[in-house]
Amino acid sequence: MNTAELFEQFHKIALNPRAQKDAYLKDGEKVVLVTYYVPEQLIHAMGAIPFHTYGGDLPVNEAKQYFPAFICSVMQTMLELGMRGTFEGCSAIVIPSLCDSLKCIGQNWKYAVPSIPFIPLTYPQNRKPDYGAAFTRAGYERMVRELEAATGLQLDETRLKESIRIYNEHNALMREFSALCAEYPQVTATQRSDVYKSAGFMKKEEHAQLLRELIACMKQEVAQKSSGKRIYISGILADAPEWNRILEDYGLQVVGDDILACSRLYRDDCRMPEDGEDAMDALVRLYCDKDHCSLLYDEKKSRVEFIVQEAKQRKADGVILALTKFCDPEEFDNPMIKDACAEAGLPCVVIEMDRQMQNYEQARTIMETFADMIG
Amino acid sequence: MYTLGIDIGSTTSKCVILEDGKMIRAMSLVTAGTGTNGPAQAYEQVLQSAGLTQADLDYVVATGYGRKTYEAADAQMSELTCHAKGVYFQNPKCRTIIDIGGQDAKVIRLNENGGIADFVMNDKCAAGTGRFLDVMAGLLQMPVSDLQKYALAAKEPVRISSTCTVFAESEVISQLSQNVDMANLVAGICNSVASRTAALAKRAGIRETVCMSGGVAQNHGVLSALSRELDVPVVEVEYAQYMGALGAAIAAYEKVI
Ligand code: SF4
Repeated sequence: MNTAELFEQFHKIALNPRAQKDAYLKDGEKVVLVTYYVPEQLIHAMGAIPFHTYGGDLPVNEAKQYFPAFICSVMQTMLELGMRGTFEGCSAIVIPSLCDSLKCIGQNWKYAVPSIPFIPLTYPQNRKPDYGAAFTRAGYERMVRELEAATGLQLDETRLKESIRIYNEHNALMREFSALCAEYPQVTATQRSDVYKSAGFMKKEEHAQLLRELIACMKQEVAQKSSGKRIYISGILADAPEWNRILEDYGLQVVGDDILACSRLYRDDCRMPEDGEDAMDALVRLYCDKDHCSLLYDEKKSRVEFIVQEAKQRKADGVILALTKFCDPEEFDNPMIKDACAEAGLPCVVIEMDRQMQNYEQARTIMETFADMIG
Repeated sequence: MYTLGIDIGSTTSKCVILEDGKMIRAMSLVTAGTGTNGPAQAYEQVLQSAGLTQADLDYVVATGYGRKTYEAADAQMSELTCHAKGVYFQNPKCRTIIDIGGQDAKVIRLNENGGIADFVMNDKCAAGTGRFLDVMAGLLQMPVSDLQKYALAAKEPVRISSTCTVFAESEVISQLSQNVDMANLVAGICNSVASRTAALAKRAGIRETVCMSGGVAQNHGVLSALSRELDVPVVEVEYAQYMGALGAAIAAYEKVI
């Protein structure tokens, strides 16, 4: 396949996760729904497929009976999809307790979607000290026990090392792809987003194979001339088709991101466990050593400087803070990031996003103005 | 050389013809916005008052919510970029623009060259916009242009605590049923718009000189309340309602030179 065909392949998968899930189920696979920071390697080592869900771009009808209107749409649409039967056939859903919205989905899920077991994953607030690691490990062990009951599969200790290796390899490819996008302005916002989105709907080894081919094809191409409007985006999600079209319409090239559902997930590799070393401990350390994320407690807020440095290193002309409406972890960080960008001379704009957004006119006006501003 | 800027808003259409990028030759305003024949009327009127025909125009730029659907323009530009150009043309000392339009509010911070340094827009809510004042004027059975007269005569403005237009409406009704003084009530309404806009302005950061544009700038009740809230003088730019159209005409000139 050539570059265009490969991008088309990613696009199809990103656009229709349901078909992808149904195909896996038809093949007799077990599919487990996960959201951010679930130790997917454990699920992979059990022989199941971790399948990402961050809700979807759809109006909320059914889920309204469980939540007030002022709660984030990622979580609301996740429940809506569950109630509409979109996830039917999945063995379980694992949700970590990383924000107030995610903390309150569990009790509702149990009643609203009784066919799919809800497995909570409780993380400690203080993850760095040894007691934080012990708490994390206890959470992982409980998750494994509940998954074993829900899927009938067993965690295979020997396979865990292999799963860690597969995930590390995939992480490295995702990072390489992100760096290439900064060099190749011809990669559109939609194409870039499709690669990230599809990563959550495929077995990691399958996604890695496709991505390896894509990277090889991209490297054969000549980089086109840049529009001169290089942007770095931060936020939880920014994958709505209309949003990507807006970026394309105004010639904005995404040269890097700190999007949770995109680059943040692939930043850190798990240290390969030594022979005889417990592989689960290595996974625990992977989580406990993570930094630079709005969802992870950090009194120093190192994330702020991290974003500025990464945007500069990718030679971004401006920073977009894509703020998911009613997402308090991100809302807390945004003023600090905005100030730090101003200090670093990086134009920065905040734009509110919502999974239920029907009208993108204001987003279009804001992006058109931002493109004028940095162009 | 003649360039024309047309600003097609949610409730009004405005045109400005600029001569050689320096002099305002004619202006027009029609109180009908996007989706109506307001833009066409405003266009006809401005040509007529300038004594020009379509053939005399070198370039036309459209801005505002209706810019995308206006086919007679050579190019489109965002209303924030156009407002920045228009206000800077009128007042080069301006560093912060507060624009309250029919359906939205925006705050733009300018650098020394008139370029945009930062900007914020309000969310999709009528509170803190011209629409809020329209609804309230309707409720009080007075033209919106009378609000300023009452507001400036107030001794003890009432507090309208709701930020939502719908809730504020019922708050105003309950104040009316208690027979509160009309001037104090109108001043309370103006203060409520001002405090919401001030919160938006603080997000962008205030630098003097602060200028106010948009239709609501003509309401000095809101303007002085805003000045109090922000603790800086806020000045109305001349032809406040035409800044988008003026900026579009300047942008059109920049395209052809
Ligand atoms: S968008 Fe924010 S509030 Fe919503 S689930 Fe994600 S982290 Fe939590």
